[in-house]
Amino acid sequence: MENTNAKDFSELTCTNLMIKLKILLNKLSPGDTVAFYATREQVDNTCSPFSGQGYQVTWTEVAANRYLVRIGK
Amino acid sequence: MFSSTFLFCDPISGERMRWLAGVIGTAGGQEHSGDTGNVKIFLTGDALFSLVDARTRPAWATLSRLPSVLVIADGDELRLQGLADPVASGIPGLRITGSANRESFWGELVSSLEKDWPGTRSAAFLLCTSPYMSRVPVYMLRFLTCVLGAGLHPELYCYLDGVHALHDGQRPSEFENIGKGVSALSGNTVRACRDPWFAACSRCATARGYYQMNPGTGFCEPASCIQDIAIKPLKEILARFSGFHPIASHMGGWTVPAGDGKEGVPTLTVFITHPPYCSEWTFGGLSLAIAAAMDGISTNVVFIEDGVYALQGNHDVPDNDRIFNVQEMIAVTTDIGSLSYYVHAPSVADRGVSTTGNLSLVREASDGDLSRILFPAKKDPAFTPAMRMLFF
Repeated sequence: MENTNAKDFSELTCTNLMIKLKILLNKLSPGDTVAFYATREQVDNTCSPFSGQGYQVTWTEVAANRYLVRIGK
Repeated sequence: MFSSTFLFCDPISGERMRWLAGVIGTAGGQEHSGDTGNVKIFLTGDALFSLVDARTRPAWATLSRLPSVLVIADGDELRLQGLADPVASGIPGLRITGSANRESFWGELVSSLEKDWPGTRSAAFLLCTSPYMSRVPVYMLRFLTCVLGAGLHPELYCYLDGVHALHDGQRPSEFENIGKGVSALSGNTVRACRDPWFAACSRCATARGYYQMNPGTGFCEPASCIQDIAIKPLKEILARFSGFHPIASHMGGWTVPAGDGKEGVPTLTVFITHPPYCSEWTFGGLSLAIAAAMDGISTNVVFIEDGVYALQGNHDVPDNDRIFNVQEMIAVTTDIGSLSYYVHAPSVADRGVSTTGNLSLVREASDGDLSRILFPAKKDPAFTPAMRMLFF
């Protein structure tokens, strides 16, 4: 099931996804969440490391190599 | 003592000539360090017009008189453009390649890089422009053919519009077929028992339709591509930058200190020279620089010429626009330890603009500062084993 509020970041490079997430998370209010689609490689290399920086990171596989990721403050 | 080589294929404006002459002239004389250096500047394509243009010719004449600086012009391209006679008589000390007893321009460049990078086993070309609209892919083929001729492994990194080189079925009626040229070079390389490492950036290839999602697997696959260029993540291409080998481009170069250049990973300096949004140059240059720095390569980004517009005012991207805010990109990456941002103060002054105060970690740099960044003296804390320079 597609989440219509989630943006599709699956075609960004890992570096550009990291930049995009840093920009979005800087603007995020406490308690809010960023939701987006990513590939397995992006989840492992770029999204997961944010959990070590005080963010809550969760993801669900919605299709082959397509994950709905949520990062909250 | 250091060796420095530049290759310029694009037009050289009066502004670019001024700061290049200042930076290279300072380095050639090494006013700041006491070291001596050898600087070779290879000119081909549209850069050759700067040898006859009244706005740039005097600076070339001055530079070519310096004993440590050698300016080398592509004789075949000079003749093609009707420039051979005025250039030969106008600039003393200029070397013109391609006459009866001389090596070809590209052969001379390869000979030069073999001296600059002693022991190197390969040489690469970063291709950022598309075939047919630009002649640079022709230069890329000539360069890599000479690289192979010298017994080195040729490497090709296709980036931005350079990924169009991998389109299958190219059939130009008048121009050299770049797709077939790449395939022939790849075959010749294998027959010579060398390894062709030809790759195209997956982000750039996806954007241009050469790398398409297979819904069944969820992974992208090449579409309408020649088989000789593999599509790879930029990270994999940048991993090649850790090696001790030269990377040529349409505008760029390198500096290698004599003797101990093989120690450590070469550093990278990226010049951002275009306005920020109406072409992919700024985003592409920044993306490459940031990704290189994140991979541990010490990287400088210099906003210069029209590139300083990236730092002017406060950029506000409309909600319905899918574009990266360049200023936000810079702001969230100033914490990367191996990445340094500079803005060329004379470029800002020439345009009468002011840069935004929100980017205080972007340091101002004069021509002298640029010279110290590009040609650090051995006693300088910024001294690095070798440096590559790329213009975007």
